[in-house]
Amino acid sequence: MSALAGLLVVIPALNEEATVAAVVRGARERLVADVLVVDDGSTDRTAEIAQAAGAFVLSHPFNLGVGAALRSGFRYAAERGYTMVLQLDADGQHDPAWAPSLIAPLDEGVDIVVGSRFAAGFHTGRLRRLCMRWLARIVSRRTSVAVTDTTSGFRAFGKRAVERFAVSYPTEYLSDTVEALLLAAAWQLEIREVPVEMRPRQGGQPSTGSVKSLYHLIRLVLVIALHRVRQPIDQRRH
Amino acid sequence: MSKLELFLFVVAVAQLVFVIEFVRRRKLLEGFAVLWITVGFGGLVLVVARPLIDRVADAVGIAYGASLVLTLGIAFLLLVCMSLSLHVSKLESRVEVLATEVAFLRGVRDPVAQED
Repeated sequence: MSALAGLLVVIPALNEEATVAAVVRGARERLVADVLVVDDGSTDRTAEIAQAAGAFVLSHPFNLGVGAALRSGFRYAAERGYTMVLQLDADGQHDPAWAPSLIAPLDEGVDIVVGSRFAAGFHTGRLRRLCMRWLARIVSRRTSVAVTDTTSGFRAFGKRAVERFAVSYPTEYLSDTVEALLLAAAWQLEIREVPVEMRPRQGGQPSTGSVKSLYHLIRLVLVIALHRVRQPIDQRRH
Repeated sequence: MSKLELFLFVVAVAQLVFVIEFVRRRKLLEGFAVLWITVGFGGLVLVVARPLIDRVADAVGIAYGASLVLTLGIAFLLLVCMSLSLHVSKLESRVEVLATEVAFLRGVRDPVAQED
């Protein structure tokens, strides 16, 4: 058995028919792993194309958001006994060539490995950079780990993280990356950041415009401010 | 009865009629209907109880009865909006749970056999 046995690559996808096949194939070529595409209510042929490219496909009946798609991925992984999950974007931003450096720390007992663009020299707009820095500072303080790229969706998760996140994962935009780290810290999960390079998106639309981004950012401020006094997310409550 | 009173009376009665009709057609849950029927009757009471309102306003130190009604009305509507937001939040998280369950009940599709 290779060191990568028990690995499930989870690719949340919404209308990514142009890029999903290449991402699935890339992951299958590079890694000894099963690939699960969580089709989050796509109206195009994302699901069929992913299936044809060699992925398992779980389809949400309508769009629930990246976080919900990830949670479904974790749940599938936990149910089928996978011990590691690698999260990969369907738009081709994440190069599976970096996957081994994300997965390696899991063997040392790290629970969540975040691939950071900044560590490898990432350039972006001034305002966005300022927001990302601010998030990095807060998250680093709360988690006691230096995290520079809190919104990176290029991550690897070990067994404990998979089991925890299978039942409870924040689903709203930005919460699915930033809040997840705060939750992980509260659960005493070990977080580590490793440098990765990301490619520009290979196709599809960026997720949000600027007004919407502002709304999500303000939402996130509230989430962070209240995080320590909030009751835990529990999907079984309903 | 002044023109204003007549107008308010008609509005209140129309509201009651609409609410009852929505319940009859099963478009409105009885629970919400109770709320809006109460509001309708409240409107009717306001029409006949204007002197009383003025006296209450005077007692709590508000110059005009109309201001008192407006203030209470806005506070009431804010409460209703809050409770609706709570309802919607609960429904949203339930929908999310249900949609996820549907996805898992439909099952994961296996990869199409590869030629390699």
